Amino acid sequence: MREIQLQLNQTQKLRLQKVLETLESQSSIPNSDSSVTISDSISVNHEDGVLKGHGTTDHNGEVVATLCGIVERVNKLVYVRTLRSRYKPEDGDIVIGRVVEVAQKCWRLDINCSQNAYLMLSAMNMPDGVQRRRTAVDELNMRRIFEEGDVICAEVRRSQHDDIHLQARSQKYGKLNAGQLLTVAPYLVKRQKQHFHHLEKFDVDLILGCNGFVWVGEHVEARDVMVEDPVNLSDPQVLIPNENSVSLEEQDKNYTALETRNYICRAANAVRVLSTLGFTITLESIKEVIDLSISANLDIHDMFGSEFCVLVAEKEAERRSSSKRKR
Amino acid sequence: MEMDRPDGRSPNQLRPLACSRSVLHRAHGSATWAQGETKVLAAVYGPKAGTKKNENPEKASIEIIWKPNTGHIGQADREHEMILKKTFESICIRTIYPNTTTSIVVQVVHDDGALLPCAINAACAALVDAGIPLRHLAVAICCSVTDNNCIILDPSKQEEEKAKAFAYLVFPNTTVSVVPEKSLQAGSDPMAHGIITSVTHGAMSVDDYLHCLERGRATTQRLSEFLRKNMEPKSTREASKAG
Repeated sequence: MREIQLQLNQTQKLRLQKVLETLESQSSIPNSDSSVTISDSISVNHEDGVLKGHGTTDHNGEVVATLCGIVERVNKLVYVRTLRSRYKPEDGDIVIGRVVEVAQKCWRLDINCSQNAYLMLSAMNMPDGVQRRRTAVDELNMRRIFEEGDVICAEVRRSQHDDIHLQARSQKYGKLNAGQLLTVAPYLVKRQKQHFHHLEKFDVDLILGCNGFVWVGEHVEARDVMVEDPVNLSDPQVLIPNENSVSLEEQDKNYTALETRNYICRAANAVRVLSTLGFTITLESIKEVIDLSISANLDIHDMFGSEFCVLVAEKEAERRSSSKRKR
Repeated sequence: MEMDRPDGRSPNQLRPLACSRSVLHRAHGSATWAQGETKVLAAVYGPKAGTKKNENPEKASIEIIWKPNTGHIGQADREHEMILKKTFESICIRTIYPNTTTSIVVQVVHDDGALLPCAINAACAALVDAGIPLRHLAVAICCSVTDNNCIILDPSKQEEEKAKAFAYLVFPNTTVSVVPEKSLQAGSDPMAHGIITSVTHGAMSVDDYLHCLERGRATTQRLSEFLRKNMEPKSTREASKAG
């Protein structure tokens, strides 16, 4: 994601520097010992019989790093973990992607990874909810479900061979309307128990994709892929969604209230500010930034100002030190 | 032998180095490297699936695309591509990702002498930025032999044109142990053993060439320290910020 260029004046620069220094001193990672660059030899107790993991290689009997990162040791396994590599999908990750191509029996999605992911037609729930074999008519109607450019939320299936397969079998996955898709660095979104959040105060849905795509949008009750037309239910072979025949009342319903839109923008800006500063993006940190901006009576576009960014950094440092003291 | 260089440098002095990483947002890894006025931008995409027909499918293949700053791609650019390809094939651990292609695109921004070493350094930094496992870093230097048999390092374009002969040398960087005390004890600097690439132009005597090798090897120590310093603080700072 493009960094917002912060124009800090002198005092703000000093304050930001001070905050970053306090954060560094607080961080639990011991700086000198663990971080390695390429061809640094890793100190290992050779008698123990060490297992060389990712990012290491054997060079003249010494274990040498092949990547820049932090050395992790688990029992006998030694490996190097990089900090800002491209997103690598793991099973069960919630990801958000944008449809790039509609291919035979599958959609190809761009998920900010080195390759595109596949969402098979058989991995999607059919709109009528019936579990049945996908026929040729379903294949022809694929574009009515998702088209190129649609934003979709899905889960990573067991990544077999070299392809990434997704599945969207639950109600909470599917097409996302009415909101903003933000791109942040993938390492800022850690894997947690819950990736779907609902900010009740603002009636805003927040989905933190593990691949660095974050969705901020209007709250949807139960995620339906499509709304069925009752007339077509009688003919199970042909299922045409409502999109083509949207009446005026439907259009009114699809209209998002101005206030909700304001909240969506505020939440999106909060995510952008956090990603510029390089802080982990979690529900708590986003809520704090939003509360901070509301209490400071800032307009939404003022959230990109340098003063607010410095305030956010200071607040984050405070929060971390207080959480450490509690421990 | 005292040598008057037009920009007033001593024979062993390098031009000011500048390196920045992650300049391009869509590329998997990118870096710019500037030595004085010479500036090169490198981007890495990969590993992507599939290899070309002539390549060995059991190993990762590396594809270099060299883009000159002006004009169409000519024979000289193809030669540069080939040299870079051979260099990086020996650095990257090719058995990790078999049957894949890693593309390195090198764009010349400004050429003021020592272009190929600058490009090699930029591409190496870009590979590190992309997170591709490397056996060791490649550090490249240019040594030229002037008319009065004086060896100077890192010549500018003027000096290169007047020189009798010059050589581009690429060395692997030194292995440093992670525990800092050990490296302090090594009073005699751990020299980089081995050489990755050597490209020479013009005619020079064998002694001159060996001198060039020595001088170049001694200077790579400084260059590899610069590279290392460039990579380290960013990673630890980001780790502490992310929490």
